[in-house]
Amino acid sequence: MKPSRVPAVIWMSGLLAALLVFPLVQRSQYYQHVMVMTMMAAVLASSWNIIGGYAGYTSLGHAAFFGLGGYLVALAHNHFGWHPFISTWFLGIVVMGVALILGWISLRTHGSAFVVVTIAMVFIFRIVALNLASITNGARGLTQPRPGWGGVPWSPELIKIPFHYIMLALLCLTVFASWRVRQSKFGLGLIAIREDEGKAEAVGIDTMLYKVLAFGLSAYFVGVAGGIYSYFFTYIDPQFIFDIFTGVTMVLIAILGGRGTLWGPVLGAFIMEPLGNWVIGVFGGTQIHLAVFGGILLAVMLFMPQGILPALTEFVKRRAKAPAAGRRSQSA
Amino acid sequence: MTIPSTHLLIQTIILGVLVGGVYALMSSGLTLIFGVMRVINVAHGAFLILGAYCTYWLFQLAGVDPILSIALTAPLLFLIGWVVQRYILSRIENPEQASVLVTFALAVTMEGLMGTFWKTTLRSVKPDYATEVIKFATYRFPVTRLAGFGAALLVLLLLYLVLQRTNLGRAIRATIQDRNAAQLVGVNIQMVAALTFGIGIATAAAGGSLLSMIYSFNSSSQTDWITRVLSIIVLGGMGSLPGALVAALILGVMEQLTAVMITLYWSPIVFYIFLFLTLIVRPQGLMGEKVREKA
Repeated sequence: MKPSRVPAVIWMSGLLAALLVFPLVQRSQYYQHVMVMTMMAAVLASSWNIIGGYAGYTSLGHAAFFGLGGYLVALAHNHFGWHPFISTWFLGIVVMGVALILGWISLRTHGSAFVVVTIAMVFIFRIVALNLASITNGARGLTQPRPGWGGVPWSPELIKIPFHYIMLALLCLTVFASWRVRQSKFGLGLIAIREDEGKAEAVGIDTMLYKVLAFGLSAYFVGVAGGIYSYFFTYIDPQFIFDIFTGVTMVLIAILGGRGTLWGPVLGAFIMEPLGNWVIGVFGGTQIHLAVFGGILLAVMLFMPQGILPALTEFVKRRAKAPAAGRRSQSA
Repeated sequence: MTIPSTHLLIQTIILGVLVGGVYALMSSGLTLIFGVMRVINVAHGAFLILGAYCTYWLFQLAGVDPILSIALTAPLLFLIGWVVQRYILSRIENPEQASVLVTFALAVTMEGLMGTFWKTTLRSVKPDYATEVIKFATYRFPVTRLAGFGAALLVLLLLYLVLQRTNLGRAIRATIQDRNAAQLVGVNIQMVAALTFGIGIATAAAGGSLLSMIYSFNSSSQTDWITRVLSIIVLGGMGSLPGALVAALILGVMEQLTAVMITLYWSPIVFYIFLFLTLIVRPQGLMGEKVREKA
């Protein structure tokens, strides 16, 4: 192991340990809830980052996969009695299949047109969910039984804890996958596509295949998270789960933390999600909350477009260089 | 699915064309802004609703006719648009990448502020002629839609004249064709961008005024409208004004036909299905030029 890797391993183990003991130490239901939502936001943003950050294709439509995962899990639970904690991992593959098809169509567009198409995707899913009432129960939504195992519901005081651990497992898996992608030739190809798609194609990368695979992979974790989410709330409806804001929030978080970096989306989630909860707590009503959310997004885009993590890294690098430059000028 | 009689079919197409004209007005500003600035103004829907609220206020407080109120709302929103471009959008470094998110942030902020200010009750403007219908050879023409269509045509004609006959219009068209060349021959790109954005937002204001008497709206309606107009300009070819007009009419008619032949609930999906089909067959849209990859 390279020496530069050692501190990284230490702080990663520290973070993991902290997240492992969190629900045991922090008994407040409210904070446990916020932590589950924060880890989910980190999953969504990290997963989005595979297509949006590495490959540079800004999808605002990942809410479609989130909602699809939610619906599939809820339907499988209600009709076949499949437990969401198990089924969500498999049904995520179905979501990925749908994403591969949609990606094959939508990734023909570039830049802004792609963004528009992905927005449309969310609305298609919402309209379908609203209108296929015989399956989805339409606007009235789907309700699942209270969370539990083997027919025994979990006690209300401890109910957040299983969700904490399954979300933590998903977060580890997502970050691991994102790391593996980044290390691989596949990831390198995606970054080449982001930098210059024409040249990437010229050097022999099958850009369409790479993009579609990245799109599918990034939909998988989002779909699994959607499945867990639908069980966490035990109720979903089309307006609520196919929400364009779900998709935009992942993008905002990834950009805030550092788009295209491994840890940026996670960092962004741990800033944005608690902050969002605080804003709701202070300002209450959803309308003001919207305005504040929009204002923060606007400020980030204008003043910190490359994100916190790259800005920090640059700052540290400059600090490291400065003394060396100072010494040289002294010796001269 | 039900097959309508010929009479109903023609009636439906009439309604579709009337509504399509208003869609054309709504999307004209968006495609113009994209052509000049390479910015997708996701806040266009929010500006439409802002225009609609201004009209609503003018009507409620001063009894101003919704169509005549365009004369007030368009200049007001022109100013707002100019300021937004000058002080927010011009600061973005990489517009093609970042503009969607910046204007989205703007849209959300506006939605929140409008929702706080005007509450979330659904509003609509109901002038005296709101329920009147003109009959012509057994076909029905609702007066609000007819007037909306007429007003939309008038504003589009005005836009056409500005683009074709004025120096500003020539500068705008030159910038759309080739930004660098336009700059070389002395076009002040910053100025053109700010004015184009202002004009684009002014057409949104006009569209909003017409919307206010045909549909009911609240602050969150902006998401429905932005997806409609975005679908139209992608279908028409981004940056192409004639493309947007044709796409608006096609989608207006298709939407009405779906409402009659299938159900009202499925009709919005027409936009998105059309969008996807276009992309498979013709990714650059109906009249868009194939965008060359940057070298």
